[in-house]
Amino acid sequence: MLEQIPTAFLFFGAALLIMALPQGRMRAALLLVVPIIAGLQVWTLPAGIFAQQEFFGFTLDLMRVDKLSRVFALIFTIAAFLGNLYAWHVRDTVQQVAALLYAGSAIGAVFAGDLITLFFYWEGTAIASVFLIWARRTEGAFNTGMRYLVIQIGSGVVLLAGVALLYRETGSITFGAITLGSLGTWLIFLSFGVKAAFPLLHNWLQDSYSAATVTGTVILSAFTTKLAIYALARGFAGTEILIYIGAIMTLFPIFFAVIENDLRRVLAYSLNNQLGFMVVGIGVGTEMALNGTAAHAFAHILYKSLLFMSIGAVLFRTGTSKGSELGGLYRTMPLTMIFCVVGAAAISAFPLFSGFVSKSLILSASAHEGHYIVWAILLFASAGVFHHSGIKIPYFAFFAHDSGLRPKEAPRHMLLAMGFAAALSIAIGVFPSALYALLPYDVEYVPYTTTHVITQLQLLMFSALAFAVLVRTGIYPPELKSVNLDTDWAYRRFLPKIIGSITRTVSNLWTANGEFWQRRISGLITSLHNSHGPEGRMAQVWPTGSMVLWVAILLGVTLIINFVS
Amino acid sequence: MNKHPNDNPDNYPRLGQILLWVDSKKNVDRIVYALYAICALLFAADFLYHKHTEIQIEKIPGFYALYGFFMCAALVICAKGLRLLLKRPEDYYAPYDTQSEEYPEDQLERIDHDA
Repeated sequence: MLEQIPTAFLFFGAALLIMALPQGRMRAALLLVVPIIAGLQVWTLPAGIFAQQEFFGFTLDLMRVDKLSRVFALIFTIAAFLGNLYAWHVRDTVQQVAALLYAGSAIGAVFAGDLITLFFYWEGTAIASVFLIWARRTEGAFNTGMRYLVIQIGSGVVLLAGVALLYRETGSITFGAITLGSLGTWLIFLSFGVKAAFPLLHNWLQDSYSAATVTGTVILSAFTTKLAIYALARGFAGTEILIYIGAIMTLFPIFFAVIENDLRRVLAYSLNNQLGFMVVGIGVGTEMALNGTAAHAFAHILYKSLLFMSIGAVLFRTGTSKGSELGGLYRTMPLTMIFCVVGAAAISAFPLFSGFVSKSLILSASAHEGHYIVWAILLFASAGVFHHSGIKIPYFAFFAHDSGLRPKEAPRHMLLAMGFAAALSIAIGVFPSALYALLPYDVEYVPYTTTHVITQLQLLMFSALAFAVLVRTGIYPPELKSVNLDTDWAYRRFLPKIIGSITRTVSNLWTANGEFWQRRISGLITSLHNSHGPEGRMAQVWPTGSMVLWVAILLGVTLIINFVS
Repeated sequence: MNKHPNDNPDNYPRLGQILLWVDSKKNVDRIVYALYAICALLFAADFLYHKHTEIQIEKIPGFYALYGFFMCAALVICAKGLRLLLKRPEDYYAPYDTQSEEYPEDQLERIDHDA
């Protein structure tokens, strides 16, 4: 019976039910039970298309289960479980309902077999997730949420336009492989690109993930961008332009991450960089590369949540996540520190951690297909991500100079959530075959070879060496209270400035124009008054007889009109 | 949480007390020397096994080590340069833009779930 209920509806039903329950452990428990049931359902569903619905003459496929959608839906349910466990203490109905609707929409979108269903869930993720930002209830978070909402809804509108054009062209709404060409396909591509944080379209991510609530960021980090990765993998696998977009995506965020002060924003930049790897995998488009993308998305959601959880715990306990304010926290938060280091090792792709067995699929696939420059960029980005996520995050939060802060250890449920995520990250690294079995295609890749282990360790250890040398020589840039300009400058400073100056110019012109005509007209009236008015020169020669004549003419006209009508 | 200097390490969790080992300068030096040693060993390891390579450039002994080291150094130096161009005061966009605040505990009705 369970397979006839779309997985997303389990979450939506729970969102309704939760409001009937009293605030407290019952609610928090329901938030944990739903992802478990959904996860079991996803795990046991056979491949195929279920729950078809008629909708204005279209047949909507609410549940298209295949290996690609299953692996993404599975990790989404795990992420929802971990996020809700981490948020066990939250007694805010807005966040609880938003978390359920958001996870449900993301899973619904992954199972969507047609573009109309995809559109509904696509917008659903945008609307539900913004409440996780607004729930912080600060002025900055409110403004950030507004910007986030404009961009996310914009992505949905562009998607709808693309779908309409594509439907007119092909007469089909099936969500399958799409070849770039017509305007409709490009619009769909652009809409996916906004959510996947393509270069120049990326800044909503860093803006919002550093502004949301402690628990909200953990939940945000899992869904939106990985949904876009799934959509790209489904629609645009093997599209060559994605290789170059992905390569740029891995590259530029690492520079920003090195100089960024807010550690949650650093993590958002490194999330952007990790998405780049997945996008390259989609662009390469071979079975191995697509396996790499799916595997990397799976591993990435776990270790990225883990990193956001650990920095979130720091924010929860100290009220700040800025590198310049933190340091020396290992004394009183040692477990959080250890979990953070596990997440850092996983994102850096240390052997025995999850990143090692997933990222290398993408690197090998790109080298195998002869994209050597892209391969070199990815290798650089791997070293760079170790540098800023692997070392900088734990170092500046938990070590570096002693900030004097002595917060309590993270609450038990947060530690538990981090523990689960850490255990899974290590388990995937140690037993990669379990993850490989879930992937869309058969895997022949063997991650643990002498060459791979040694070369990877060389890359990472010498990156660490570079960090050590630069810190000890004082070259490494210190954490400073500051913001760094990014593309958001364009719409937060430049465009408002341009619009402001246009407004000023137009209103000045309008006023000047009005004044000019007013002066002219009142001048005319005055001069007419002077010449024709009762005191004027012309009035002196008005004969009384002409008035009588005009009265007679007026009378005549009136008579004629009366007669004619 | 306190911020005064006379805090008592006896109140730290057990693990935190053990980790205080990294508090002394001497031990940090030891860690760094250990890192140097590991790097030297890893570099040497390149001459001791048969490397399975896909690309010509991988065949250079110590390619991954040198690439990692120099690219990371370049990354940091470039980023430092970038800071000259991009760094702005925290209230550049809006006065409360990046303001960190105490987490709104009153809204959470937090019961003691703490360890």
